[in-house]
Amino acid sequence: MQLHRDRDKFEAAGVGLAVIGQGRPEHARDFIAANEVDGLRVLVDPARESYEAAGAKIATVNELLGPRVVAKGTASALRTGLFQTRTKGHPAQLGGVLIVASDGSVPYAHLAGDASDNASNDEVLRAARKAVRSA
Amino acid sequence: MPLGASTGRQHTRPPDRADALADLVLQDADGKDVRLGDLWSGRPVVLAWLRHYG
Repeated sequence: MQLHRDRDKFEAAGVGLAVIGQGRPEHARDFIAANEVDGLRVLVDPARESYEAAGAKIATVNELLGPRVVAKGTASALRTGLFQTRTKGHPAQLGGVLIVASDGSVPYAHLAGDASDNASNDEVLRAARKAVRSA
Repeated sequence: MPLGASTGRQHTRPPDRADALADLVLQDADGKDVRLGDLWSGRPVVLAWLRHYG
């Protein structure tokens, strides 16, 4: 997931952007430094409570390492030049994206079905703009 | 199971509302507490949960 790479577009659309990972604050600082995203709000959830509340799931081995997942991940890495680093926390915990409106409703959700399943930045940006127009 | 993987296929459960998230408090990169509900009190927010930091 690379939404942080378009954070200026999300800001221009009038929505906030926050990234949540496992691990500890130092891992968040490493992420900010490695991706050169000073000012991005990166939160840590070592207990994974927010993952649970968001409805994210734990993957099976096939959803982590199955042929389709590996092929898609390899293609993505070659296309973007981004390769997965060591996982912090629960290695089978999948992530996802929610857009939360000011009234607490969730007009958009994309929760990963397997380790290669990521919403595209364009898809999330379109949904974010729609959420702003509906606010 | 290897990697703590699930033995059976789970299904995602996207919520209609973020009420269960609102009162969760997480730390930011500086170790400061952030209540998630405060993130969308003024404008919509995109929340992205990472599988890894890479």
